[in-house]
Amino acid sequence: MLALLFLLFAALAVGCALAMVAQRNPLYSAISLIGVFVSLACLYIMLAAPFIAAVQVIVYEGAIMPGVVFVIMLLNVEVEERRTGRLKFLVPAAVVLAFVLFAEVAFILASMQEFYVTPASASANVGVTHSIGTALFTQYLLPFEITSILLLMAIVGAMTLARRGGLLSPNARVIPGAQQLPLSIVDASVGIEDTRAVETDTTDEAARLLGYERLRDESERE
Amino acid sequence: MDTALDIGLKLVAITVAFVVVLLIVAYTVLAERRVLGFIQGRLGPNRVGYGGVLQPFADLLKFILKEDIVPDKSTRFIYFLAPVIATMAALMTMIVYPFGPEIRIPFTGITIPLTITRLDIGLLYVLGVTSVGVYGIMLAGWSSNNKYSLMGGLRSSAQMISYELALGLSLIGVIMLAGTLDLGQIVEMQSGWHGTRWFIIFQPLGFIVYLTAAIAETNRVPFDLPEAETELVAGFHTEYSAMKFALFFLAEYINMFTVSMLATTLFLGGWNVPFAEDIFGRGTFLFGLVSAIGFLLKVVFFLFLYIWLRGTLPRFRFDQLMSFGWRILLPLALLSIFITATLIFLFPNL
Amino acid sequence: MKQRGCSDTSACAMSQSENNEMEPQLSWYLALSAVLFTIGVTGVIIKRNIIAMFMCIELMLNSVNLTFVAFSSFFQDVTGQLFVFIVMTVAAAEAAVGLGIIIAIFRNRESLDVDEASILKL
Repeated sequence: MLALLFLLFAALAVGCALAMVAQRNPLYSAISLIGVFVSLACLYIMLAAPFIAAVQVIVYEGAIMPGVVFVIMLLNVEVEERRTGRLKFLVPAAVVLAFVLFAEVAFILASMQEFYVTPASASANVGVTHSIGTALFTQYLLPFEITSILLLMAIVGAMTLARRGGLLSPNARVIPGAQQLPLSIVDASVGIEDTRAVETDTTDEAARLLGYERLRDESERE
Repeated sequence: MDTALDIGLKLVAITVAFVVVLLIVAYTVLAERRVLGFIQGRLGPNRVGYGGVLQPFADLLKFILKEDIVPDKSTRFIYFLAPVIATMAALMTMIVYPFGPEIRIPFTGITIPLTITRLDIGLLYVLGVTSVGVYGIMLAGWSSNNKYSLMGGLRSSAQMISYELALGLSLIGVIMLAGTLDLGQIVEMQSGWHGTRWFIIFQPLGFIVYLTAAIAETNRVPFDLPEAETELVAGFHTEYSAMKFALFFLAEYINMFTVSMLATTLFLGGWNVPFAEDIFGRGTFLFGLVSAIGFLLKVVFFLFLYIWLRGTLPRFRFDQLMSFGWRILLPLALLSIFITATLIFLFPNL
Repeated sequence: MKQRGCSDTSACAMSQSENNEMEPQLSWYLALSAVLFTIGVTGVIIKRNIIAMFMCIELMLNSVNLTFVAFSSFFQDVTGQLFVFIVMTVAAAEAAVGLGIIIAIFRNRESLDVDEASILKL
């Protein structure tokens, strides 16, 4: 019974992975990858690790994959075309090398003698939230804190990379009629021939930068 | 053969829960139209059946018989997949809620628990499955090949992802108080002392943050800009007609129902009716019945609150919505966690 | 290789009797993980789209997660699952920054083809 379930989820995982690699439309690849994640979460539950399964669903499928799908949709990524000409041999070569890699791993697995392991049972206490939480906050506190700093770095990095316009604050609210000015008005070190555009907050700031003294009602901002 | 009987019972329980949920959701739609009518000074639909009671079935018939239009240039597979994902994610959360205590059927002596299943990680499961519901909206917006749908889909999914954070964080206070993620356990911890141990008393800030985030998660007024008819035609479900639109509609109302049930379970004590224990005694059939009815009444109260808000409040603009979620709600949720943790540390005898 | 047989005969007999029901063994999970990993490696080599390559890398990370959880479950040690937790967090951070980089590359080159991104000049 459990072996049947394992075969089902394993077949689903491998099938979705193959679909992901074979698809040329990146959105279909993303959906296949979501299928892989779901089947892996089911496998984690079979291994009596329910907390990790739930965290996998929340983090990978709820956060990372929507981000990837957003990027695919916003950048309007096109369907991949086949390689032409001299590089056509790369795909079969990659498949052959993948088989070689798998053969090596299978050899290692097969040449290990069967050692005595207790099979995973549903009454195992290892995957329970309580034990993970205890270990995370007592024995493995340092990796936990370092990971939180890593996440902070990732947030700052992602915000910096996604920002446009250089020196303007990311709190800028876009209102209709935002002005576009040449970059040299904001950043004096850039030459006048640099025609990259800068978006400013409001007509106020644009007016200020252009040298006009305009008094607008401040209540309009809120 | 024990497992076959168990599986059979679970299937029966799932079917019953499914039917009950669909009926409640259908009548929520009707209730919304009538209550909105009363708020706005008009009658709602009251022709079909006595006082409009058969209206949901008329609506269902209309949806089934309508022409199913598929836009020509849409990606067909994803177009058909999107409402399925939305509805599936909405329905899958049903299985962990405790609808009542263990009920003993009077003449047979069988005790059945009024939950479909008890998961150790019940709350995490609910949060995970509602995260998957975002895909339905994103893929619907994309696959319709329509500017308005794409904008509506992207805005709606950005809103849902942003408010999921505040939602999850506001529940951490409850988890800290209860010490467990199991929903049945959380309800049982709120029994006793006749309603004074309900978590809403210990977590008022968490409750308000949760309710606001939940209203934003389900794309309801005042956070319903992505699907308002005056804004983006109809948002992400512009190009959907007939049964597929009915699935989206259904998914939204089931989400409302789910969120109301979660609020009832976590903050209002689930199936605990204040003096039912003294009157009926635990474990009897009447106690179970009264508790289940009490649960239902609390959920209906939250649904009424949703409808009331829809009739009363104007809607947020999208940038106001996003800045509210990130700049006000998320710090409030963190503040609630901080206060709860401090109080638990100082007074550990609760 | 040293043969590691059953040191405790009664426990070993219990494991043998449970094997009649064909529970999935540890080696099955490891084999599945190896298959997923090789599929991921193939994807990284074959694909020309940056986002598709990124998704294949996520697949490789997930196959390693499966190995960790399988070992943690079979040896009753919680360290494996904690490592998975950390790996997931690192993958999330990498996804955030990686997608930002991809957007920045797209803004400058108007194309996500890695074969075309062969020189440093834009």
